[in-house]
Amino acid sequence: MITLFTTLIVIGYLSPFAYMTVTSLKDKTQIVEGSILPQSPRTFVYEDEALPIYNVPVDGEMKQWALFKKGRESSQFIDPENPAAGPIEWQGRWRQLETAMEMDIRWGNFETAWTEIEFPRLLFNTLFIAVVGLIGTLLSSICVAYAFARFPIPAKNMLFLILVGTIVLPRQVTLVPTYAFFSQINWTGTWLPLIVPHFFANAYNVFLLRQFFRQLPRELDEAAMIDGAGPFRILISVIIPQSYPAIVAVALFHFVFAWNDYFEPLIYLLGKRDLLPISVGIQEFNFVYDQQPHLIQATAIMGLALPVILFFFSQRVFMRGIVVTGVDK
Amino acid sequence: MAATDKPQALYAAAQPAKAKKMSLERSQQRWGWVFLSPWIIGFIAFTLIPMTASFIFTFTNLKLADPGATEFIGLDNYRKLFNDPDLKTSLWVTLRFAVVALPLSIVIPLSMATLLNAKNLWAKRLFRTLFYMPYMVPLISVIYIFNGFLNANTGWLNMFLDSAFGIKGPDWLFDPFWIYPALFIIGIWGTGNAMLTMLASMQTVPTELYEAARVDGADSLLIFRKITLPLISPVIFYNLVLSLIGLFRYFEIPYVIKRGTGDPGNATLFYNIHFFRTAFRFQDMGYGATLAWLIFLIAMIATVLVFASAKYWVFYAGDRD
Amino acid sequence: MSKRSLPFLLIVALVVASFVPLTTAQEPVTITWFVGLGAGGQPEQIEAQNAVVEAFNASHDDIELEIVIADNDVAYDTLSTLIASGDAPDIIGPVGIRGSNAYSGQWLDLQPIIDETGFDLSIWDQALVDFYRVEGEGLIGLPFGIFPSFLYFNRDLFDEAGLDYPPQAFGEPYADGDEWTIEKLAELGRLLTVDENGNDATSAEFDKDAIVQYGFVSQWHNDLRANATLFGAGNLVDEEGNAQIPEHWREAANWYYEGMWGDQPFMPNDPAAGSDLLAAGNPFSSGNVAMAYTHLWYTCCLGDAAESWDIGVLPSYNGTTTAKLHADTFRILAATEHPQEAFEVLTYLVTEAAPSLLQVYGGMPTDAAAQEAFFAGLDETYTQGVNWQVAVDSAQYPDNPSHEGNMPNFNKADERQAAFWSLLIGTEGLDVNAELDTLQADLQAIFDEVE
Repeated sequence: MITLFTTLIVIGYLSPFAYMTVTSLKDKTQIVEGSILPQSPRTFVYEDEALPIYNVPVDGEMKQWALFKKGRESSQFIDPENPAAGPIEWQGRWRQLETAMEMDIRWGNFETAWTEIEFPRLLFNTLFIAVVGLIGTLLSSICVAYAFARFPIPAKNMLFLILVGTIVLPRQVTLVPTYAFFSQINWTGTWLPLIVPHFFANAYNVFLLRQFFRQLPRELDEAAMIDGAGPFRILISVIIPQSYPAIVAVALFHFVFAWNDYFEPLIYLLGKRDLLPISVGIQEFNFVYDQQPHLIQATAIMGLALPVILFFFSQRVFMRGIVVTGVDK
Repeated sequence: MAATDKPQALYAAAQPAKAKKMSLERSQQRWGWVFLSPWIIGFIAFTLIPMTASFIFTFTNLKLADPGATEFIGLDNYRKLFNDPDLKTSLWVTLRFAVVALPLSIVIPLSMATLLNAKNLWAKRLFRTLFYMPYMVPLISVIYIFNGFLNANTGWLNMFLDSAFGIKGPDWLFDPFWIYPALFIIGIWGTGNAMLTMLASMQTVPTELYEAARVDGADSLLIFRKITLPLISPVIFYNLVLSLIGLFRYFEIPYVIKRGTGDPGNATLFYNIHFFRTAFRFQDMGYGATLAWLIFLIAMIATVLVFASAKYWVFYAGDRD
Repeated sequence: MSKRSLPFLLIVALVVASFVPLTTAQEPVTITWFVGLGAGGQPEQIEAQNAVVEAFNASHDDIELEIVIADNDVAYDTLSTLIASGDAPDIIGPVGIRGSNAYSGQWLDLQPIIDETGFDLSIWDQALVDFYRVEGEGLIGLPFGIFPSFLYFNRDLFDEAGLDYPPQAFGEPYADGDEWTIEKLAELGRLLTVDENGNDATSAEFDKDAIVQYGFVSQWHNDLRANATLFGAGNLVDEEGNAQIPEHWREAANWYYEGMWGDQPFMPNDPAAGSDLLAAGNPFSSGNVAMAYTHLWYTCCLGDAAESWDIGVLPSYNGTTTAKLHADTFRILAATEHPQEAFEVLTYLVTEAAPSLLQVYGGMPTDAAAQEAFFAGLDETYTQGVNWQVAVDSAQYPDNPSHEGNMPNFNKADERQAAFWSLLIGTEGLDVNAELDTLQADLQAIFDEVE
């Protein structure tokens, strides 16, 4: 019962996704033609030309004829069963006729997209940027969250508010100085601006991890401390093992973020076609003058495959994990 | 755990009690700074310098395309704030949008999470993946999807409304009223993260609590209100803070879907669109930076207020200090 | 204490290090070519540009040419960021007059370098060169190619309706003997606009909510100035520098509005143009639009849907025909650190590399011999036999003043008049004249800001 209800909602919720999928399976003509599924009219080849077949009512009988020459009030058709007879004049409006449609799925879009933007290279770039950044953000965010959760730092709350505040200022306003900074140290045109800052902790991740660490009972820390463990050892052997789910969640969030980040790779990798991630590379099909929506969606679906699979399988680990508690004050 | 690893622990153990406590505190504090240092270094290198620079911009007439001609103009940019009609419009647009979007950003993921947490739902993992999936679709693809899906003439949504209910659907993307529902629809589609955090939190609510409540004869709604909601309130709080900040930063979707023009009729002139137009299109980075700092200030105040309100409605199960 | 200050020392060191420029003396000089303000992003264009860069680098040891391509949507913002960050590219292009206005005052005056190097300008018509001389800025570009506008039409749709094609020579009447005017264009447009039942826009049964084919589109013209120029050249700035709406532009705006939102529409409005039926924003290529008013550069993007198009001349208004002209070229930013080398690249682009670049940009060369080769190249792609003489002739009817001309407070004024256009194409029940009055008042205020 509830499964049925959920299924209905999923159908509604994912209908844009269905639109995306069928778009990726059409060619441009089919998108313009506008039937929901990727279909094309059946055709009949007459004098080297493929003519669309229509259901034509003739003397109270439906004939499947190929439209040879369109006209407003009368058109010429070819009878595929008797092409030798030549064009038949039919009185009536061809626009009111139904075409005989058949499924015509363009699987080739995926192949075209794959080769045209060199998908394997984009995939490698995206994966590299995402994974190295992920390692960086995990290492640093865990440390910083640990500091906020466990140590008596003066003005800690103030610092935490500053941390959260850094995500409030629109990043476009700091774009120019940030860009100038990276350009000054010759990092533009490389992956460094996309990766290195993640080694210095990210506010969202710190927020999430701090909430989680604060929920862990201190008794275990204290027991370890009495055993003579230092803060690093406590972090590694007490805090982290209890926090795998939250850590996996942060990893997943970062992965998805890096996977789709558009603005920063765009500007820092300008002109470096070989270094682009999928999110920017996909733009090649979006040049204002001649968009290729079917190729965009084919690329997007290919790019989606890996994160979806990762998500599906990582659920087991972190579903019990992203628990946030205890925001003080 | 080998005690010999940590000389300061041994050292601390040798001290008299009071000094020991002092030094422990000091040592703890020092370690705190060590662990905090990645953020502090990163903050200064990647955030503080650009932030300070952008603050200095607010006292200049910096033009991006002509940085050589920059001059200090005192408080002129701040004076400009008071007679900028677009500023009022954009604040109003943002506020109007937020009044609906903020509750939606909590209620929708909460309902989805409740649904996905239902005991007798089959194929949970699959459903969760399906609900989370749209969040992972890249922006450019999202824009294409909704330009097609919400098109007044050939879009699926209006085709559905027409064939199922015989309603002629509105012009979602070109009508100054319907553009907001359209933006909500697009926003709801990307709500995966919030849903996920709530779902995870719901799973930690001890089942004994539910059973006890049922024994007492409470119905599902009461249980949801009295047990589930308070116990997951920290996650709701977390999402509320993020949504609030997200609203002040709302930019990408209206920017791409309406090419940053604010159409139809300024209905999508969100604050950040106004800022972006000023700084980049009109190349008035000096005033643009002033606008950015104004919204920063407003957002900080709002965030602090939400943080302050937490003690009245957020229930902390594990808090002990 | 000393331990605690360690992070701070680190930070200070890092900050100091970050401000020490790391650029070392480089040999050869790198010149950056920025593409994105106009053509240059189509796959075949990218290919041709890369080939030019390779050829240049193979033949020049002292200069390393680098190309940077930005998506048109974000090109202006990106370029501004680069300039402001002190990382400005050297050469920008192809860029039109509008793009050049957006960065007015930023372009390098080429005259001093020409005087110094003795570069021979006489390979072009004097008038052509003078086109790029701007008062107070000097010679800020060199002739490259021109992009006249005309009327693309879809033969199949005319055949289906049993109508004759538009005239292909200036001054020639339409086949029925009527003068080839805006009104005649609208009349044809209505006959070529058809609903799903096959009724055209003039029919009593016509259902304007179910249009499946449109008669006319002014394609990829998204501001008032470009569209209104069909009715003749004009200027939103009067002689005293005040805002004005020329009378014939007012008429043009009303004509377009009626054509999109009236009882017998024959042009797609904004929602219609964005629908899948019209190829989501590339209407003429969908094969569902009979006539399109646009430029020669549209040969980039006709797609597969319209294999049977040809071109005709634009109609006249009050006895005058105006075919607005684009004249994109390459420019050098004054901020360049290597003006000499940049100039060498620039001259290479507008001379040796010009034929291959113009071919992919759809830009007409200015001399006759090169034109022949250019059109022969286009015929290879479009085999149906296009009457290119129309394009050549249309270049004789340019708009003066240009629809891309400068205005005070350019970026803001330009955005405002473009906003008027998106309001017009996107809003049903608009009071066009009242909106034009508002536009004039707003423009005046925008002009006054920089007084």
